[in-house]
Amino acid sequence: MKKLLLFLLVALLFGACQKDELSTGQFRFVKPSHFPEPTYTFDINPVTKEGFELGKRIFGDPMLSRDNSVACNNCHVKAVAFADPQHALSLGVNERQGIRNAPGIANMAFMKEFMWDGGVYHLDFAPPNAIENPLEMDEKMANVVWKLNRNSTYPAQFRAAFPEMGDTITSPFVLLALSQYQTMLVSATSKYDYYKLGKGELSANEMEGLQLFKQKCAVCHSGELFTNQEYRNNGLDTEFADEGRARITESAADLGKFKVPSLRNVELTDPYMHDGRFNTLEEVLDHYAAGVKQSATLATELRQGDFLGIPLTASEKKLIVDFLKTLTDHEFIQDERF
Amino acid sequence: MKKFLFLSTLLFGVLFFSACKDEEETKDPGTLEVNFDNIAVINNVQQQLSLVTPGSTNYAYTNALGQKFNINLLRYYISAIELDGPNGEHYHDHMEATASGSKGYYLVDESIPASQLILLEDIPAGEYNKITFTVGVDSSGIVNGAAGGSLDPATCHMFWNWNSGYIAVKYEGQSDVSNGGVSGAETVTGDNPHGMAYHIGGWKDIPGGVFVYNNKRLSFTFDTVVKVESKEAPELHMVFDVIKMFGSHHNIDFTGNHNVHKPADGVEVAHNLEHAFDYDHIHQ
Repeated sequence: MKKLLLFLLVALLFGACQKDELSTGQFRFVKPSHFPEPTYTFDINPVTKEGFELGKRIFGDPMLSRDNSVACNNCHVKAVAFADPQHALSLGVNERQGIRNAPGIANMAFMKEFMWDGGVYHLDFAPPNAIENPLEMDEKMANVVWKLNRNSTYPAQFRAAFPEMGDTITSPFVLLALSQYQTMLVSATSKYDYYKLGKGELSANEMEGLQLFKQKCAVCHSGELFTNQEYRNNGLDTEFADEGRARITESAADLGKFKVPSLRNVELTDPYMHDGRFNTLEEVLDHYAAGVKQSATLATELRQGDFLGIPLTASEKKLIVDFLKTLTDHEFIQDERF
Repeated sequence: MKKFLFLSTLLFGVLFFSACKDEEETKDPGTLEVNFDNIAVINNVQQQLSLVTPGSTNYAYTNALGQKFNINLLRYYISAIELDGPNGEHYHDHMEATASGSKGYYLVDESIPASQLILLEDIPAGEYNKITFTVGVDSSGIVNGAAGGSLDPATCHMFWNWNSGYIAVKYEGQSDVSNGGVSGAETVTGDNPHGMAYHIGGWKDIPGGVFVYNNKRLSFTFDTVVKVESKEAPELHMVFDVIKMFGSHHNIDFTGNHNVHKPADGVEVAHNLEHAFDYDHIHQ
């Protein structure tokens, strides 16, 4: 009897540990065991409960915009893995239309560069792009800092989160708080993750879809982040209204290239592509199967002899979509911390 | 007598030697004030710059192509300063880029006289005859994330969001030959018919990479040595000549692209920085 009790106790403990490995419920950054090392500089800006909660408050505060109308979470909505569920192109103050689709911002702690063109090297420097863009929040960082300092509760919250800060809030601490919040948005508890860690199973169709995905998609959407973090022209256009990566590298060889997006939660993050032109995963796969257009910078992965794109039958497309839906992380979008 | 002479010589020698040694040991680290003087050299005469209010059609300066221009704004970063001496003395300025503040990154602004004086502290006592510094902010100011002080992106007015990094040199003004249409400037509006903006940036120094790197690491040797120790307060005067910025390696044509906001467009002005900066003199 004693032995049985002990066994049960150990089993319980082990079960608890296993659960912990995937979802911690804590206010510190934990790298999922199957993920690569994070790129974020946690040694300089470690996540604390106070810093995280401050970042979360700022992320949801429309005072970041010029007329106090737009918050970060207008276009980065938790229910759809922090993407924009409504608009192909971002919508800013005075209903101004931006030039690109707001991507989901899960797993930012693992990314080498940010934005569709990779123009931002460190996560701390991502938010000012939205805050100061006239088509998005149309505000100045200096004015955000001024508003925060005048607020009745923010200054004390900043001092609690950053004891090294003086009496006055300055912009780097605003950015550190936003990064603490964003780096905690780790999506690693999808059906696929449980399968990957040997704690769950995929259906026969999903397994078949995974095999097809590995053969046909994973050359770019590689690894556990489902992106090689490189830039590709995936054959959307022959002329480029948006020069993409070439805007940053200033090289014609990068015209029309955009960052290969992570596919985690892809079922939720429609519409797709840098300009949100496709509404469904089926449309995306139809593009790769039969819509890829030739141009000088087209990805070599999408040239197979005379064929442009990825050969896919109707049933293969369906199986791949079945697999992609296993990347939907319901625990992530329901996590009460976020 | 010989013995006495020998002994006294020995004694004197020991005393003398230890005195010298003592004297060297008592020299404490000192300071050097580095003065960045922004000038225009006209007919071989250095003239102090005078800024004009935006929109002014007073043109005090002429580039090598004979095009008249003026200046509303002139600002640049000096960072990672090092000093070297003929006897192996070496000093490098302390560098730090954290949210609480930054050290070793100096933002020199023509409109703020105090910004043109950089006080280097805790320099090992000795003689120095060479200064080396970076014009701009290299990866050390970027890769660790948001920083404060002179690097605060909200207040420095030297930060590119879209291609995140610091502008090395920012000039704004106008020329009667420019056809205006400037965008993204601090002091010059798009409807200014003669406005100009030269924002020189590009910090990604990646071997084999495609990025344009416009920061410059410059060294200048002095015509004399500067003695540094706690009892001295020497000053080093460097100059920055706007005429050479627009005409030395390359003659910058103000009828061409005078709305410079990306690294590739700033390469020629950046190259000219090698001549625009120069050693001038030392006050011991």
